[in-house]
Amino acid sequence: LFFFLSLDVLPRVTCPNHPDSILVEDYRAGDMICSECGLVVGDRVIDVGSEWRTFSNDKATKDPSRVGDTQNPLLSDGDLSTMIGKGTGAASFDEFGNSKYQNRRTMSSSDRAMMNAFKEITNMADRINLPRNIVDRTNNLFKQVYEQKSLKGRSNDAIASACLYIACRQEGVPRTFKEICAVSRISKKEIGRCFKLILKALETSVDLITTGDFMSRFCSNLGLPKQVQMAATHIARKAVELDLVPGRSPISVAAAAIYMASQASAEKRTQKEIGDIAGVADVTIRQSYRLIYPRAPDLFPADFKFDTPVDKLPQL
Amino acid sequence: MDQNNSLPPYAPGLASPQGAMTPGIPIFSPMMPYGTGLTPQPVQSTNSLSLLEEQQRQQQQQQAAQQATAQQATQGTSGQTPQLFHSQTLTTAPLPGTTPLYPSPMTPMTPITPATPASESSGIVPQLQNIVSTVNLGCKLDLKTIALRARNAEYNPKRFAAVIMRIREPRTTALIFSSGKMVCTGAKSEEQSRLAARKYARVVQKLGFPAKFLDFKIQNMVGSCDVKFPIRLEGLVLTHQQFSSYEPELFPGLIYRMIKPRIVLLIFVSGKVVLTG
Repeated sequence: LFFFLSLDVLPRVTCPNHPDSILVEDYRAGDMICSECGLVVGDRVIDVGSEWRTFSNDKATKDPSRVGDTQNPLLSDGDLSTMIGKGTGAASFDEFGNSKYQNRRTMSSSDRAMMNAFKEITNMADRINLPRNIVDRTNNLFKQVYEQKSLKGRSNDAIASACLYIACRQEGVPRTFKEICAVSRISKKEIGRCFKLILKALETSVDLITTGDFMSRFCSNLGLPKQVQMAATHIARKAVELDLVPGRSPISVAAAAIYMASQASAEKRTQKEIGDIAGVADVTIRQSYRLIYPRAPDLFPADFKFDTPVDKLPQL
Repeated sequence: MDQNNSLPPYAPGLASPQGAMTPGIPIFSPMMPYGTGLTPQPVQSTNSLSLLEEQQRQQQQQQAAQQATAQQATQGTSGQTPQLFHSQTLTTAPLPGTTPLYPSPMTPMTPITPATPASESSGIVPQLQNIVSTVNLGCKLDLKTIALRARNAEYNPKRFAAVIMRIREPRTTALIFSSGKMVCTGAKSEEQSRLAARKYARVVQKLGFPAKFLDFKIQNMVGSCDVKFPIRLEGLVLTHQQFSSYEPELFPGLIYRMIKPRIVLLIFVSGKVVLTG
Protein backbone atom coordinates (compact mmCIF):
# COMPACT_ATOMS: atom_id res chain seq x y z
CA LEU A 1 0.00 0.00 0.00
CA PHE A 2 1.26 3.40 -0.76
CA PHE A 3 0.61 5.76 2.10
CA PHE A 4 0.54 9.45 2.16
CA LEU A 5 -1.12 11.55 4.76
CA SER A 6 -3.89 13.70 3.51
CA LEU A 7 -4.44 17.08 4.92
CA ASP A 8 -7.61 16.27 6.68
CA VAL A 9 -10.18 18.94 6.43
CA LEU A 10 -11.97 17.61 9.43
CA PRO A 11 -15.66 17.73 8.70
CA ARG A 12 -15.38 15.58 5.65
CA VAL A 13 -15.21 12.01 6.78
CA THR A 14 -14.00 10.39 9.90
CA CYS A 15 -14.10 6.88 11.12
CA PRO A 16 -17.19 6.47 13.28
CA ASN A 17 -15.26 4.58 15.93
CA HIS A 18 -12.14 6.71 15.95
CA PRO A 19 -13.02 10.25 15.08
CA ASP A 20 -9.53 11.47 15.75
CA SER A 21 -7.53 9.01 13.82
CA ILE A 22 -5.89 9.94 10.61
CA LEU A 23 -7.36 8.48 7.49
CA VAL A 24 -4.98 6.84 5.17
CA GLU A 25 -5.59 6.90 1.47
CA ASP A 26 -5.23 3.89 -0.66
CA TYR A 27 -4.83 5.47 -3.99
CA ARG A 28 -5.35 2.41 -6.10
CA ALA A 29 -8.71 1.45 -4.79
CA GLY A 30 -9.69 4.99 -4.00
CA ASP A 31 -10.50 4.30 -0.38
CA MET A 32 -9.87 6.15 2.80
CA ILE A 33 -8.99 3.74 5.56
CA CYS A 34 -8.92 4.42 9.25
CA SER A 35 -5.47 3.84 10.58
CA GLU A 36 -6.67 2.52 13.89
CA CYS A 37 -9.17 -0.11 12.96
CA GLY A 38 -8.86 -0.45 9.22
CA LEU A 39 -12.41 0.45 8.47
CA VAL A 40 -12.96 1.72 4.97
CA VAL A 41 -14.48 5.06 5.56
CA GLY A 42 -14.94 6.82 2.30
CA ASP A 43 -14.96 6.08 -1.31
CA ARG A 44 -13.21 8.58 -3.39
CA VAL A 45 -14.85 9.48 -6.57
CA ILE A 46 -11.64 10.02 -8.45
CA ASP A 47 -9.42 7.12 -9.26
CA VAL A 48 -5.92 8.17 -9.99
CA GLY A 49 -4.81 4.96 -11.55
CA SER A 50 -4.42 4.75 -15.29
CA GLU A 51 -7.57 4.31 -17.22
CA TRP A 52 -6.47 1.91 -19.85
CA ARG A 53 -3.95 -0.77 -19.66
CA THR A 54 -1.64 -0.28 -22.58
CA PHE A 55 0.36 -3.11 -23.96
CA SER A 56 3.55 -2.61 -25.82
CA ASN A 57 2.43 -4.65 -28.80
CA ASP A 58 -0.69 -2.63 -29.14
CA LYS A 59 -0.50 -1.06 -32.54
CA ALA A 60 -3.44 1.21 -32.03
CA THR A 61 -2.49 4.60 -33.32
CA LYS A 62 -5.11 6.21 -31.30
CA ASP A 63 -4.18 6.48 -27.70
CA PRO A 64 -7.38 6.00 -25.75
CA SER A 65 -6.00 7.72 -22.69
CA ARG A 66 -7.88 10.84 -21.90
CA VAL A 67 -5.72 12.29 -19.22
CA GLY A 68 -2.49 13.22 -20.92
CA ASP A 69 1.07 13.08 -19.63
CA THR A 70 2.30 13.03 -16.09
CA GLN A 71 2.34 16.43 -14.54
CA ASN A 72 5.56 18.20 -13.83
CA PRO A 73 4.34 20.80 -11.37
CA LEU A 74 7.72 21.19 -9.73
CA LEU A 75 9.22 22.66 -12.78
CA SER A 76 6.75 24.10 -15.19
CA ASP A 77 4.56 26.85 -14.00
CA GLY A 78 1.12 25.42 -13.49
CA ASP A 79 0.76 22.62 -15.92
CA LEU A 80 -2.77 23.16 -17.02
CA SER A 81 -3.25 23.44 -20.69
CA THR A 82 -5.95 22.64 -23.15
CA MET A 83 -5.48 20.49 -26.16
CA ILE A 84 -7.95 19.99 -28.90
CA GLY A 85 -7.94 16.59 -30.50
CA LYS A 86 -8.61 15.74 -34.10
CA GLY A 87 -12.24 15.92 -35.03
CA THR A 88 -14.10 12.78 -35.90
CA GLY A 89 -17.55 13.68 -37.13
CA ALA A 90 -18.58 15.72 -40.12
CA ALA A 91 -19.15 18.86 -38.16
CA SER A 92 -15.52 19.38 -37.43
CA PHE A 93 -14.55 20.01 -41.01
CA ASP A 94 -15.11 23.34 -42.63
CA GLU A 95 -15.73 24.16 -46.29
CA PHE A 96 -12.48 23.13 -47.82
CA GLY A 97 -12.10 19.90 -46.00
CA ASN A 98 -9.67 21.36 -43.51
CA SER A 99 -10.45 20.63 -39.96
CA LYS A 100 -11.84 23.44 -37.95
CA TYR A 101 -10.09 24.08 -34.72
CA GLN A 102 -6.47 23.76 -35.59
CA ASN A 103 -4.99 20.68 -34.27
CA ARG A 104 -3.39 21.56 -31.01
CA ARG A 105 -3.44 24.84 -29.27
CA THR A 106 -0.23 26.02 -27.72
CA MET A 107 0.29 24.57 -24.30
CA SER A 108 1.64 26.66 -21.48
CA SER A 109 3.11 29.21 -23.82
CA SER A 110 4.59 31.16 -20.97
CA ASP A 111 7.33 28.62 -20.43
CA ARG A 112 7.66 26.99 -23.75
CA ALA A 113 11.31 27.92 -23.87
CA MET A 114 11.86 26.39 -20.48
CA MET A 115 10.25 23.12 -21.49
CA ASN A 116 12.36 23.15 -24.59
CA ALA A 117 15.44 23.55 -22.47
CA PHE A 118 14.39 20.66 -20.25
CA LYS A 119 14.09 18.48 -23.27
CA GLU A 120 17.53 19.56 -24.41
CA ILE A 121 18.97 18.85 -20.97
CA THR A 122 17.48 15.39 -20.98
CA ASN A 123 18.96 14.76 -24.41
CA MET A 124 22.41 15.91 -23.38
CA ALA A 125 22.32 13.86 -20.22
CA ASP A 126 21.26 10.79 -22.15
CA ARG A 127 24.25 11.02 -24.38
CA ILE A 128 26.61 10.66 -21.46
CA ASN A 129 24.33 8.42 -19.41
CA LEU A 130 23.75 10.72 -16.51
CA PRO A 131 21.38 9.46 -13.83
CA ARG A 132 18.04 11.00 -13.21
CA ASN A 133 19.06 12.83 -10.05
CA ILE A 134 21.59 14.91 -11.94
CA VAL A 135 19.03 15.72 -14.59
CA ASP A 136 16.55 16.79 -11.93
CA ARG A 137 19.12 18.97 -10.28
CA THR A 138 19.99 20.50 -13.62
CA ASN A 139 16.35 21.23 -14.29
CA ASN A 140 16.01 22.91 -10.94
CA LEU A 141 19.08 25.03 -11.52
CA PHE A 142 17.84 26.01 -14.92
CA LYS A 143 14.49 27.00 -13.54
CA GLN A 144 16.11 29.18 -10.91
CA VAL A 145 18.33 30.87 -13.44
CA TYR A 146 15.49 31.32 -15.86
CA GLU A 147 13.23 32.89 -13.28
CA GLN A 148 15.94 35.24 -12.17
CA LYS A 149 16.26 36.56 -15.69
CA SER A 150 19.72 37.95 -15.04
CA LEU A 151 21.14 35.82 -17.81
CA LYS A 152 18.25 36.34 -20.12
CA GLY A 153 20.34 37.39 -23.09
CA ARG A 154 22.38 34.22 -23.20
CA SER A 155 21.46 31.31 -25.35
CA ASN A 156 19.28 28.85 -23.46
CA ASP A 157 21.38 25.97 -24.65
CA ALA A 158 24.47 27.55 -23.18
CA ILE A 159 22.72 28.08 -19.87
CA ALA A 160 21.46 24.51 -19.94
CA SER A 161 24.93 23.15 -20.62
CA ALA A 162 26.40 25.20 -17.83
CA CYS A 163 23.64 24.05 -15.46
CA LEU A 164 24.44 20.47 -16.38
CA TYR A 165 28.08 21.09 -15.58
CA ILE A 166 27.22 22.63 -12.23
CA ALA A 167 24.83 19.83 -11.35
CA CYS A 168 27.47 17.20 -12.02
CA ARG A 169 29.88 19.13 -9.82
CA GLN A 170 27.37 19.52 -7.05
CA GLU A 171 26.57 15.83 -7.04
CA GLY A 172 30.22 15.03 -6.55
CA VAL A 173 30.80 13.53 -9.98
CA PRO A 174 32.21 16.39 -12.01
CA ARG A 175 32.41 16.19 -15.75
CA THR A 176 35.09 18.14 -17.54
CA PHE A 177 34.06 21.06 -19.68
CA LYS A 178 35.22 19.14 -22.69
CA GLU A 179 32.92 16.27 -21.87
CA ILE A 180 29.98 18.64 -21.67
CA CYS A 181 31.11 20.27 -24.92
CA ALA A 182 31.01 16.89 -26.57
CA VAL A 183 27.30 16.58 -26.02
CA SER A 184 26.39 20.21 -26.53
CA ARG A 185 26.62 22.49 -29.49
CA ILE A 186 27.98 25.32 -27.39
CA SER A 187 31.66 26.17 -27.28
CA LYS A 188 33.70 25.59 -24.14
CA LYS A 189 34.34 29.30 -23.85
CA GLU A 190 30.67 30.13 -23.81
CA ILE A 191 29.86 27.36 -21.36
CA GLY A 192 32.65 28.62 -19.11
CA ARG A 193 31.29 32.15 -19.27
CA CYS A 194 27.77 31.06 -18.47
CA PHE A 195 29.10 28.88 -15.67
CA LYS A 196 30.70 31.84 -13.96
CA LEU A 197 27.64 34.00 -14.50
CA ILE A 198 25.33 31.38 -13.06
CA LEU A 199 27.46 30.93 -9.98
CA LYS A 200 27.29 34.62 -9.42
CA ALA A 201 23.58 34.84 -10.12
CA LEU A 202 22.64 31.99 -7.82
CA GLU A 203 25.28 33.00 -5.29
CA THR A 204 26.52 29.47 -4.90
CA SER A 205 29.95 28.06 -5.21
CA VAL A 206 31.25 24.68 -6.16
CA ASP A 207 34.03 22.56 -4.76
CA LEU A 208 37.35 22.43 -6.46
CA ILE A 209 37.90 19.46 -8.72
CA THR A 210 40.35 16.83 -7.62
CA THR A 211 42.18 14.19 -9.57
CA GLY A 212 40.29 11.36 -7.92
CA ASP A 213 36.94 12.50 -9.27
CA PHE A 214 37.82 11.37 -12.75
CA MET A 215 39.81 8.24 -12.12
CA SER A 216 37.02 5.73 -12.19
CA ARG A 217 35.54 7.10 -15.35
CA PHE A 218 38.75 7.42 -17.31
CA CYS A 219 40.10 4.08 -16.18
CA SER A 220 37.00 2.16 -17.01
CA ASN A 221 36.77 3.83 -20.39
CA LEU A 222 40.30 2.64 -21.04
CA GLY A 223 39.51 -0.83 -19.78
CA LEU A 224 42.06 -0.76 -17.02
CA PRO A 225 41.73 -3.16 -14.10
CA LYS A 226 40.93 -2.00 -10.61
CA GLN A 227 44.52 -2.34 -9.44
CA VAL A 228 45.75 0.07 -12.03
CA GLN A 229 42.95 2.48 -11.25
CA MET A 230 43.78 2.44 -7.57
CA ALA A 231 47.43 2.87 -8.31
CA ALA A 232 46.73 5.81 -10.58
CA THR A 233 44.53 7.42 -7.95
CA HIS A 234 47.28 7.02 -5.41
CA ILE A 235 49.92 8.40 -7.74
CA ALA A 236 47.88 11.45 -8.59
CA ARG A 237 47.02 12.17 -5.00
CA LYS A 238 50.59 11.83 -3.89
CA ALA A 239 51.79 14.02 -6.71
CA VAL A 240 49.44 16.80 -5.69
CA GLU A 241 50.35 16.43 -2.04
CA LEU A 242 54.03 16.67 -2.78
CA ASP A 243 53.27 19.56 -5.11
CA LEU A 244 55.25 18.07 -7.94
CA VAL A 245 52.86 19.54 -10.48
CA PRO A 246 52.15 23.10 -9.42
CA GLY A 247 49.68 24.89 -11.59
CA ARG A 248 48.74 21.91 -13.73
CA SER A 249 45.10 21.21 -14.32
CA PRO A 250 43.94 18.21 -12.25
CA ILE A 251 42.82 16.53 -15.44
CA SER A 252 46.31 16.61 -16.87
CA VAL A 253 47.77 15.27 -13.65
CA ALA A 254 45.20 12.50 -13.59
CA ALA A 255 46.01 11.58 -17.17
CA ALA A 256 49.72 11.47 -16.46
CA ALA A 257 49.11 9.32 -13.39
CA ILE A 258 47.02 6.91 -15.41
CA TYR A 259 49.77 6.75 -17.98
CA MET A 260 52.38 5.96 -15.37
CA ALA A 261 50.23 3.36 -13.67
CA SER A 262 49.27 1.67 -16.90
CA GLN A 263 52.85 1.61 -18.15
CA ALA A 264 53.93 -0.08 -14.93
CA SER A 265 51.27 -2.73 -15.23
CA ALA A 266 50.45 -5.31 -17.81
CA GLU A 267 47.79 -3.13 -19.39
CA LYS A 268 49.77 -0.45 -21.12
CA ARG A 269 48.04 2.44 -22.77
CA THR A 270 49.59 4.99 -25.06
CA GLN A 271 49.54 8.67 -24.35
CA LYS A 272 47.33 9.21 -27.34
CA GLU A 273 44.67 6.83 -26.07
CA ILE A 274 44.65 8.41 -22.66
CA GLY A 275 44.61 11.86 -24.21
CA ASP A 276 41.56 10.95 -26.27
CA ILE A 277 39.63 9.74 -23.26
CA ALA A 278 40.61 12.54 -20.95
CA GLY A 279 40.38 15.31 -23.48
CA VAL A 280 43.95 16.47 -22.98
CA ALA A 281 46.62 16.73 -25.61
CA ASP A 282 49.32 14.10 -25.47
CA VAL A 283 51.99 16.76 -25.14
CA THR A 284 50.20 17.88 -22.01
CA ILE A 285 50.38 14.38 -20.62
CA ARG A 286 54.03 14.31 -21.56
CA GLN A 287 54.70 17.53 -19.66
CA SER A 288 52.96 16.40 -16.53
CA TYR A 289 54.55 12.99 -16.78
CA ARG A 290 58.00 14.55 -16.92
CA LEU A 291 57.21 16.34 -13.68
CA ILE A 292 56.14 13.22 -11.80
CA TYR A 293 58.65 10.82 -13.33
CA PRO A 294 61.58 11.68 -11.07
CA ARG A 295 59.65 10.73 -7.94
CA ALA A 296 57.99 7.70 -9.48
CA PRO A 297 59.10 5.17 -6.84
CA ASP A 298 57.56 7.27 -4.08
CA LEU A 299 54.29 7.73 -5.84
CA PHE A 300 53.24 4.14 -6.35
CA PRO A 301 51.24 2.48 -3.61
CA ALA A 302 53.17 0.09 -1.43
CA ASP A 303 51.35 -3.04 -2.51
CA PHE A 304 51.48 -2.49 -6.24
CA LYS A 305 52.57 -5.40 -8.40
CA PHE A 306 54.89 -4.09 -11.03
CA ASP A 307 54.78 -5.68 -14.41
CA THR A 308 57.42 -3.26 -15.61
CA PRO A 309 59.71 -2.21 -12.79
CA VAL A 310 59.90 1.41 -11.84
CA ASP A 311 63.26 2.06 -13.37
CA LYS A 312 62.12 0.71 -16.70
CA LEU A 313 59.24 3.13 -16.97
CA PRO A 314 59.36 5.06 -20.24
CA GLN A 315 61.07 8.34 -19.98
CA LEU A 316 59.85 11.04 -22.32
CA MET B 1 39.78 72.53 -17.41
CA ASP B 2 42.90 70.89 -16.23
CA GLN B 3 42.29 68.18 -13.79
CA ASN B 4 44.04 68.33 -10.54
CA ASN B 5 46.46 65.51 -10.69
CA SER B 6 48.57 66.21 -7.73
CA LEU B 7 48.02 64.00 -4.79
CA PRO B 8 47.05 65.58 -1.55
CA PRO B 9 49.84 64.69 0.81
CA TYR B 10 49.20 61.36 2.33
CA ALA B 11 49.09 61.32 6.06
CA PRO B 12 52.22 59.34 6.79
CA GLY B 13 50.52 57.17 9.32
CA LEU B 14 48.07 56.04 6.74
CA ALA B 15 50.55 54.94 4.19
CA SER B 16 51.71 52.18 6.43
CA PRO B 17 49.46 49.24 5.91
CA GLN B 18 48.81 48.69 9.54
CA GLY B 19 46.37 51.49 9.43
CA ALA B 20 45.27 50.94 5.91
CA MET B 21 43.93 47.47 6.23
CA THR B 22 41.77 46.87 3.30
CA PRO B 23 38.71 48.38 4.85
CA GLY B 24 36.74 45.65 6.43
CA ILE B 25 35.16 43.37 4.02
CA PRO B 26 32.07 42.53 5.97
CA ILE B 27 31.84 38.93 4.88
CA PHE B 28 33.92 36.95 7.29
CA SER B 29 35.14 33.68 5.98
CA PRO B 30 34.57 31.15 8.73
CA MET B 31 37.51 29.04 7.74
CA MET B 32 40.82 30.32 8.88
CA PRO B 33 43.08 27.34 8.68
CA TYR B 34 46.18 29.40 8.58
CA GLY B 35 45.52 30.85 11.92
CA THR B 36 47.00 34.21 11.31
CA GLY B 37 45.35 34.79 14.56
CA LEU B 38 43.14 37.66 15.09
CA THR B 39 43.05 38.46 18.68
CA PRO B 40 39.83 40.33 18.46
CA GLN B 41 40.54 43.92 19.07
CA PRO B 42 37.98 46.28 20.39
CA VAL B 43 36.48 47.95 17.42
CA GLN B 44 38.18 51.26 17.28
CA SER B 45 36.60 54.12 15.56
CA THR B 46 37.87 53.62 12.12
CA ASN B 47 39.04 57.12 11.77
CA SER B 48 42.17 56.33 9.87
CA LEU B 49 40.23 54.01 7.65
CA SER B 50 37.50 56.44 6.83
CA LEU B 51 40.05 59.05 6.02
CA LEU B 52 41.69 56.60 3.74
CA GLU B 53 38.41 55.78 2.11
CA GLU B 54 37.67 59.43 1.68
CA GLN B 55 40.91 60.05 -0.02
CA GLN B 56 40.36 57.13 -2.23
CA ARG B 57 37.06 58.48 -3.19
CA GLN B 58 38.33 61.92 -3.87
CA GLN B 59 40.96 60.92 -6.31
CA GLN B 60 40.08 58.40 -8.82
CA GLN B 61 42.61 55.66 -8.77
CA GLN B 62 45.60 57.68 -7.94
CA GLN B 63 48.77 55.78 -7.97
CA ALA B 64 49.77 55.92 -4.32
CA ALA B 65 46.41 54.62 -3.23
CA GLN B 66 46.77 51.95 -5.82
CA GLN B 67 50.15 51.03 -4.51
CA ALA B 68 49.22 51.04 -0.87
CA THR B 69 46.21 48.89 -1.44
CA ALA B 70 48.02 46.77 -3.91
CA GLN B 71 50.65 46.34 -1.32
CA GLN B 72 47.83 45.18 0.84
CA ALA B 73 46.84 42.73 -1.78
CA THR B 74 50.26 41.33 -2.26
CA GLN B 75 50.89 41.20 1.42
CA GLY B 76 47.54 39.67 1.81
CA THR B 77 48.38 36.89 -0.52
CA SER B 78 51.75 36.47 1.02
CA GLY B 79 50.26 36.37 4.44
CA GLN B 80 47.85 33.62 3.74
CA THR B 81 50.11 30.94 2.41
CA PRO B 82 51.75 29.34 5.32
CA GLN B 83 52.69 26.33 3.29
CA LEU B 84 55.51 28.27 1.84
CA PHE B 85 58.28 26.63 0.07
CA HIS B 86 60.79 29.15 1.11
CA SER B 87 61.02 30.04 4.69
CA GLN B 88 59.54 33.41 4.86
CA THR B 89 58.73 35.59 7.73
CA LEU B 90 55.03 35.61 7.80
CA THR B 91 53.85 39.08 7.49
CA THR B 92 51.25 40.31 9.76
CA ALA B 93 49.45 41.96 6.95
CA PRO B 94 45.80 41.37 7.54
CA LEU B 95 44.14 39.18 4.99
CA PRO B 96 41.47 40.90 3.03
CA GLY B 97 38.86 38.34 3.83
CA THR B 98 39.68 37.66 7.41
CA THR B 99 39.92 41.09 8.87
CA PRO B 100 36.37 41.97 9.39
CA LEU B 101 35.75 45.05 11.38
CA TYR B 102 38.58 45.00 13.78
CA PRO B 103 41.05 47.46 12.46
CA SER B 104 42.96 49.11 15.17
CA PRO B 105 44.67 52.17 13.95
CA MET B 106 46.84 52.32 16.99
CA THR B 107 48.23 48.87 17.53
CA PRO B 108 49.13 46.45 14.80
CA MET B 109 47.25 43.21 14.63
CA THR B 110 48.79 40.62 16.87
CA PRO B 111 48.98 37.37 15.00
CA ILE B 112 50.35 34.17 16.35
CA THR B 113 53.65 34.70 14.63
CA PRO B 114 55.91 37.25 16.22
CA ALA B 115 54.76 40.63 15.29
CA THR B 116 56.63 42.41 12.59
CA PRO B 117 55.07 45.69 11.69
CA ALA B 118 53.46 45.15 8.37
CA SER B 119 55.04 48.10 6.73
CA GLU B 120 58.53 46.65 6.63
CA SER B 121 57.46 43.20 5.56
CA SER B 122 57.70 42.84 1.85
CA GLY B 123 58.42 46.16 0.24
CA ILE B 124 56.97 44.79 -2.94
CA VAL B 125 55.58 47.49 -5.08
CA PRO B 126 53.50 46.62 -8.09
CA GLN B 127 54.74 47.98 -11.38
CA LEU B 128 52.23 49.71 -13.55
CA GLN B 129 51.90 48.09 -16.92
CA ASN B 130 49.04 49.84 -18.59
CA ILE B 131 46.81 52.83 -18.08
CA VAL B 132 43.60 53.39 -19.98
CA SER B 133 42.21 56.88 -20.02
CA THR B 134 39.58 58.84 -21.87
CA VAL B 135 39.37 62.45 -22.83
CA ASN B 136 36.82 64.50 -24.68
CA LEU B 137 38.21 66.70 -27.42
CA GLY B 138 35.03 68.67 -27.45
CA CYS B 139 34.30 68.81 -31.14
CA LYS B 140 33.08 66.53 -33.88
CA LEU B 141 35.85 65.06 -35.96
CA ASP B 142 36.09 63.89 -39.52
CA LEU B 143 37.82 60.57 -39.25
CA LYS B 144 38.63 60.31 -42.89
CA THR B 145 40.67 63.48 -43.00
CA ILE B 146 42.45 62.52 -39.85
CA ALA B 147 43.29 59.11 -41.23
CA LEU B 148 44.50 60.53 -44.51
CA ARG B 149 46.60 63.33 -43.17
CA ALA B 150 47.99 62.02 -39.94
CA ARG B 151 50.92 59.72 -39.73
CA ASN B 152 50.58 56.38 -37.96
CA ALA B 153 46.83 56.34 -38.18
CA GLU B 154 44.65 53.51 -39.39
CA TYR B 155 40.98 53.67 -40.11
CA ASN B 156 38.85 50.79 -41.25
CA PRO B 157 35.23 51.87 -40.92
CA LYS B 158 33.90 48.46 -41.81
CA ARG B 159 35.74 46.85 -38.96
CA PHE B 160 35.67 49.52 -36.31
CA ALA B 161 34.27 53.00 -36.26
CA ALA B 162 37.35 54.82 -34.95
CA VAL B 163 40.77 55.96 -36.03
CA ILE B 164 43.58 54.05 -34.37
CA MET B 165 46.57 56.30 -33.91
CA ARG B 166 49.90 55.50 -32.34
CA ILE B 167 52.76 57.64 -31.10
CA ARG B 168 56.22 56.56 -30.21
CA GLU B 169 57.14 58.86 -27.39
CA PRO B 170 55.16 57.52 -24.52
CA ARG B 171 54.48 54.41 -26.54
CA THR B 172 50.70 54.54 -26.64
CA THR B 173 47.74 53.87 -28.86
CA ALA B 174 44.66 56.03 -29.10
CA LEU B 175 41.21 55.34 -30.46
CA ILE B 176 39.67 58.51 -31.76
CA PHE B 177 35.95 58.56 -32.40
CA SER B 178 33.98 60.87 -34.59
CA SER B 179 32.10 62.31 -31.65
CA GLY B 180 35.35 63.79 -30.43
CA LYS B 181 35.95 61.34 -27.63
CA MET B 182 39.26 59.57 -27.41
CA VAL B 183 40.59 56.56 -25.53
CA CYS B 184 44.31 56.42 -24.81
CA THR B 185 45.95 53.12 -23.85
CA GLY B 186 49.39 51.75 -23.28
CA ALA B 187 50.98 54.34 -21.03
CA LYS B 188 52.97 53.22 -18.05
CA SER B 189 52.06 55.99 -15.65
CA GLU B 190 49.30 58.51 -15.13
CA GLU B 191 51.50 61.40 -16.11
CA GLN B 192 52.55 59.68 -19.27
CA SER B 193 48.97 58.90 -20.10
CA ARG B 194 48.02 62.53 -19.70
CA LEU B 195 50.99 63.64 -21.73
CA ALA B 196 50.19 61.21 -24.50
CA ALA B 197 46.58 62.28 -24.57
CA ARG B 198 47.70 65.85 -24.90
CA LYS B 199 49.97 64.91 -27.77
CA TYR B 200 47.14 63.22 -29.59
CA ALA B 201 44.98 66.25 -29.00
CA ARG B 202 47.68 68.45 -30.45
CA VAL B 203 47.92 66.24 -33.53
CA VAL B 204 44.22 66.55 -34.04
CA GLN B 205 44.44 70.28 -33.46
CA LYS B 206 47.15 70.67 -36.03
CA LEU B 207 44.94 68.98 -38.56
CA GLY B 208 42.56 71.87 -38.20
CA PHE B 209 39.99 70.78 -35.68
CA PRO B 210 39.25 72.97 -32.69
CA ALA B 211 40.34 70.35 -30.21
CA LYS B 212 40.11 70.96 -26.50
CA PHE B 213 41.13 68.83 -23.57
CA LEU B 214 38.07 68.17 -21.50
CA ASP B 215 37.41 65.63 -18.78
CA PHE B 216 40.62 63.70 -18.82
CA LYS B 217 39.86 60.65 -16.73
CA ILE B 218 41.82 57.54 -16.04
CA GLN B 219 39.55 54.56 -16.47
CA ASN B 220 41.70 51.61 -15.67
CA MET B 221 45.16 50.83 -14.38
CA VAL B 222 46.92 47.50 -14.64
CA GLY B 223 49.86 46.57 -12.52
CA SER B 224 51.85 43.46 -11.92
CA CYS B 225 54.15 42.24 -9.23
CA ASP B 226 55.87 39.17 -7.94
CA VAL B 227 55.65 37.92 -4.41
CA LYS B 228 58.66 35.68 -4.95
CA PHE B 229 57.21 32.50 -3.56
CA PRO B 230 54.85 29.88 -4.94
CA ILE B 231 51.25 30.18 -3.90
CA ARG B 232 48.83 27.41 -3.09
CA LEU B 233 45.75 28.45 -5.01
CA GLU B 234 43.59 25.62 -3.70
CA GLY B 235 44.09 26.83 -0.17
CA LEU B 236 43.30 30.37 -1.13
CA VAL B 237 40.07 29.43 -2.80
CA LEU B 238 39.02 27.45 0.26
CA THR B 239 39.43 30.35 2.61
CA HIS B 240 38.21 33.13 0.38
CA GLN B 241 35.44 31.41 -1.43
CA GLN B 242 33.25 34.46 -1.78
CA PHE B 243 35.87 36.42 -3.62
CA SER B 244 37.91 33.83 -5.47
CA SER B 245 37.17 31.97 -8.60
CA TYR B 246 39.62 29.26 -9.51
CA GLU B 247 38.82 26.98 -12.40
CA PRO B 248 41.95 25.24 -13.57
CA GLU B 249 40.11 23.99 -16.62
CA LEU B 250 39.29 27.49 -17.73
CA PHE B 251 42.25 29.57 -16.65
CA PRO B 252 45.36 28.63 -14.75
CA GLY B 253 45.22 31.60 -12.44
CA LEU B 254 42.93 32.39 -9.58
CA ILE B 255 40.70 35.41 -10.09
CA TYR B 256 40.27 37.29 -6.86
CA ARG B 257 37.71 40.06 -6.88
CA MET B 258 38.44 42.29 -3.96
CA ILE B 259 35.44 44.30 -2.88
CA LYS B 260 37.10 47.23 -1.27
CA PRO B 261 39.01 48.58 -3.05
CA ARG B 262 37.37 47.24 -6.14
CA ILE B 263 40.30 45.48 -7.70
CA VAL B 264 40.57 42.23 -9.58
CA LEU B 265 43.73 40.27 -8.99
CA LEU B 266 44.93 37.39 -11.10
CA ILE B 267 47.03 35.25 -8.84
CA PHE B 268 49.26 32.59 -10.29
CA VAL B 269 50.99 29.61 -8.81
CA SER B 270 54.40 31.04 -9.55
CA GLY B 271 53.76 33.97 -7.29
CA LYS B 272 53.10 36.54 -9.95
CA VAL B 273 50.10 38.73 -9.36
CA VAL B 274 48.38 40.98 -11.85
CA LEU B 275 46.20 43.73 -10.44
CA THR B 276 43.69 45.59 -12.49
CA GLY B 277 40.87 47.98 -11.96
